[in-house]
Amino acid sequence: MEITLTHYLLLAMTVFLTGMVGFVVRRNAIVMLMCVELMLSSVNIVFAAYSRFHANADGHVFVLMNFAVAAAEAAIGLAILVEIFRRRRTVNVDDLKALME
Amino acid sequence: MEGILFWVFGSMMVFGGLMMVVQRSAVVSAVWLIFAFVSAAGIFALLSAPFLAVMQILVYAGAIMVLFLFVIMMLQGPVLEGDQKLLGRSLWPAVAIPPLAIVVMIVGYVMRNGLTGWGGPAPEGFGSPEHVAGLLLGKYLLAFELISIVLLVAIIGALAVGKDERKLPWK
Repeated sequence: MEITLTHYLLLAMTVFLTGMVGFVVRRNAIVMLMCVELMLSSVNIVFAAYSRFHANADGHVFVLMNFAVAAAEAAIGLAILVEIFRRRRTVNVDDLKALME
Repeated sequence: MEGILFWVFGSMMVFGGLMMVVQRSAVVSAVWLIFAFVSAAGIFALLSAPFLAVMQILVYAGAIMVLFLFVIMMLQGPVLEGDQKLLGRSLWPAVAIPPLAIVVMIVGYVMRNGLTGWGGPAPEGFGSPEHVAGLLLGKYLLAFELISIVLLVAIIGALAVGKDERKLPWK
C-alpha cells in the first residue's frame, strides 16, 4: 500500500475541518485560539507534502515562515485575551458582545 | 513501513484534534493539542522533512503550547471551569463534518488506483538543515529578514496590549 500525496492532503483536510468545527463550537476564547493553531498546522502539512511531491524544498521555507506567523499570532492573541480577562473577568465569547448590541 | 506510520501518526493527529475540541477543560484541551502537534512532527518526518519535524516540536509543542498553558494558569478559575454549554442545538450538525472527512479519507484509500505516488525516494539530504538553510539564507533571504520584523512587531504589540496603559512610555 503506497501512501500518496492525496493521503496527506486528505489528512490535512480532516485536521483543518476539526480545527474549524472547534472554532465554531467552542465558546472559550483560549480554546478557539488553539483551534486556529491546529488549522495553521494542517496547512503546514500541505506545504510539506507538496514539497515532497515536487522534490523541491521551497515549501519547507514557507512552513518555517508559518511557524513564525503562528507564534506571533499566539503571542498577540493571548495578550489581548489577558487584557480582556483583566477588564471583564471572562474569556467566554458569549459574554463579550459589547460591539454586537 | 511508510504506510503503517502514516496511518498511526495521521490517526493520532486527528484523534488529538478531536479530543481537544471535545474536552471541556482548557488545560486538558491544551495537552491534547500538544499530542496532535507531536503527531504532526511524525508526519513531517515521514515527508522527509527532518528539520521541520524538529522545529515542529521545538516551536509548536514547546514554545507556543507553554505560552498557552501559562496563560491558562494565569487566568485560572473561570477558564478552568470550561464551557458550561458547548454549543447550541442548531450547531450540532457541524460536529459531523470531521467524521465525514474521515470517511472520505478511507474512500480515498480504497480507491487509490490512479493516485500518483512520490515517484522514487527523496533526493539525498532533502529537507536536511543544510538544505533548508541554503534556501533560507540564499533564495529567500529577504523573506527571512522580514519575518524577524514580524516577530519584533509581535513582541512590541504583545507588550503594548498587556502592559498597564498608564505605564506605557509614550503616555
